[in-house]
Amino acid sequence: MTTTLSFDTAPDLRRIYATGALRRGSDSETLPDVRAVRDGIRVDLDALAAYVRVCRFPLSSTLPLTYPHLLAFPLQMAVMSHEGFPLPLLGAVHVTNAITLLRPLLVTDELALTVWAQDLRPHRRGRQVDLVSEARIEGELVWRGVSTYLSRGAGHPEAQVSDPPGLEPLADVPAGPVWRLAEGTGRSYAAVSGDWNPIHVHALAARPFGFPTAIAHGMYHYARALAALGPRLPEAGLTSRVWFRKPVRLPSTVRLRSAFEPSRTLSRLENLTGEVEHAVIENTW
Amino acid sequence: MASQPRPRAPRRAAVLGGNRIPFARANGPYAKASNQDMLTAAVDGLVARFGLAGERLGEVVAGAVLKHSRDFNLTRETVLGTRLDPRTPAYDVQQACGTGLEAAILVANKIALGQIDAGIAGGVDSASDAPIAVSEGLRQTMLAANRAKTPAQRAKALAGLRPGHFVPSVPENLEPRTGLSMGEHMALTAAQWGVIREAQDELAAASHRNLASAWDRGFFDDLVTPYLGVTKDTNLRPDSTVEKLSTLKPVFGRGEGATMTAGNSTPLTDGASAVLLASEEWAAEHRLTPLAWLVDAETAAVDYVHGDEGLLMAPVYAVPRLLARNGLTLQDFDLYEIHEAFAATVLTTLKAWEDPDFCRERLGLDAPLGAIDRARLNVNGSSLAAGHPFAATGGRIVASLAKQLKDNGGGRGLISICAAGGQGVVAILEA
Repeated sequence: MTTTLSFDTAPDLRRIYATGALRRGSDSETLPDVRAVRDGIRVDLDALAAYVRVCRFPLSSTLPLTYPHLLAFPLQMAVMSHEGFPLPLLGAVHVTNAITLLRPLLVTDELALTVWAQDLRPHRRGRQVDLVSEARIEGELVWRGVSTYLSRGAGHPEAQVSDPPGLEPLADVPAGPVWRLAEGTGRSYAAVSGDWNPIHVHALAARPFGFPTAIAHGMYHYARALAALGPRLPEAGLTSRVWFRKPVRLPSTVRLRSAFEPSRTLSRLENLTGEVEHAVIENTW
Repeated sequence: MASQPRPRAPRRAAVLGGNRIPFARANGPYAKASNQDMLTAAVDGLVARFGLAGERLGEVVAGAVLKHSRDFNLTRETVLGTRLDPRTPAYDVQQACGTGLEAAILVANKIALGQIDAGIAGGVDSASDAPIAVSEGLRQTMLAANRAKTPAQRAKALAGLRPGHFVPSVPENLEPRTGLSMGEHMALTAAQWGVIREAQDELAAASHRNLASAWDRGFFDDLVTPYLGVTKDTNLRPDSTVEKLSTLKPVFGRGEGATMTAGNSTPLTDGASAVLLASEEWAAEHRLTPLAWLVDAETAAVDYVHGDEGLLMAPVYAVPRLLARNGLTLQDFDLYEIHEAFAATVLTTLKAWEDPDFCRERLGLDAPLGAIDRARLNVNGSSLAAGHPFAATGGRIVASLAKQLKDNGGGRGLISICAAGGQGVVAILEA
């Protein structure tokens, strides 16, 4: 039977992290049947303004593509911190994310979110799971996000891989926006997203998890990439995918190169020499 | 051999339409929105309304009065965030409250000369997200330290820092050369012309009444795009009356002669507007019907610093020059849009045009311009009711007047906008 966790307000992520830090994840081969649900969500304009400033979106009457993810993230954490969840809360790595937007979302819309986990499966370097988030307006599905998290462990070399699309279209793209990301970038994004995962906050907090420095939130530089693509993307009816590759160590300077096709954009976030690939982003419509 | 270029006759520039976001009182719903955010919303709304996505226009011209130094390229940055073709050029203008109308004149003139076929003129201001700078003392000290070549020189420069240097510099609504606020200037002029309180409150009440009725009949349905959940100008008080306005305490001027209140002065406001202008040919190619033509314009300035003339009196001088050039009298207009910086500004302007001595001595006219039919003045409300985001007011007026002329089945309209620095921008629209 499905357990439904209902929230009137966003679950407190600091509390989830504080308790979840101790939980290591079960060895279970199956996912607990849990859904996290939050209805009647009204966009807080001050919170939205803080988010768009950090990610460089304009403050407009429509929500950034990634904003519902921000609203859904605490629900994801609630699901992942639930008893019997097979992946540990901390140290899980966001490997891919896909968002489909069916219609423009207005700042005045009232959203209902449902979040669950599905498709626990092997990964070359451990196990991965999809956290599915769906946003509805008056019962109509308007936005859907699938976040895939990896827990590193016993590898499965034979596991199916989800490779990013070929980057040939980018071969002749000489330049693109360059971002100088300060050491405190993770804290800035944590302040607007509530995602205070220690790997993003400070080098000292990141080290126990195997990172020599703090690393940028994937959803931060992904959001910045979408903001940079801005009006090149349609207002709705698109699917946006990101493959997170090498983490962005903070501080760091990165560059976004993009290729534009009639109904697709393809972008690569990389270091200035192009040797390190941080993310591949594809938008299709 | 290249063919000899033919001299081109100027052509008419059409106002095709406009778009603005609802104006909102400062520190209200748009408190967190930047000038770029609001101007982007206004321009993108215009782009959506006229199907201009992906279109490369001749240029976009806009400005803001209160501007952050980082926004040096505000309009171009805005264009890059809209659905216009990113190869659309843009530049900023700034002529205080005349910015929006001056931007429209600039675009219209380039269209008239055949230099461009279509363009957008706009303006934006945020009194909420105001630029705050370091104090002049801190700035000078830091610049001196930056110029220093040795650590000793740098230490010496920095030793000049004083606690007072850390008080930030906040923009003030003061005329730099007189130290008086615009309201204080207006109060002097209003007293000089004997503009009474009741007349000001009546004008303010009419502004609210007219704006409310324009909203009620759907006049703004194709002129305004909601922004951040705001669907109507937040300063509007449909139930405003002379009786209610008469209870407010004066805020400008002194003693018996103090007549200007928060009710008959414009509030600090956030907002943005944009207007689409084009040649007749471009409009036809895009299957768009001109609302009106921007026929002519004039700017004037007065020497207000030592009290020779009132700060906001420049339009009074600009209009007779514009009329003379076009062979018109002040009564040859179906509609008048006189920007309500203060109710007293409008009333003083009208009084001056009716005054034989002033018109003879100051304007060099044989006879006064005379009175206007007040029923044709600011028929859809003006800044007292809508609010006045400085650079956005011109675009609001141009679009509204053009549409009203079209709705009337034709006619001629006069726009008059006063601006800080003793300047005035006026223009004629015809449909």
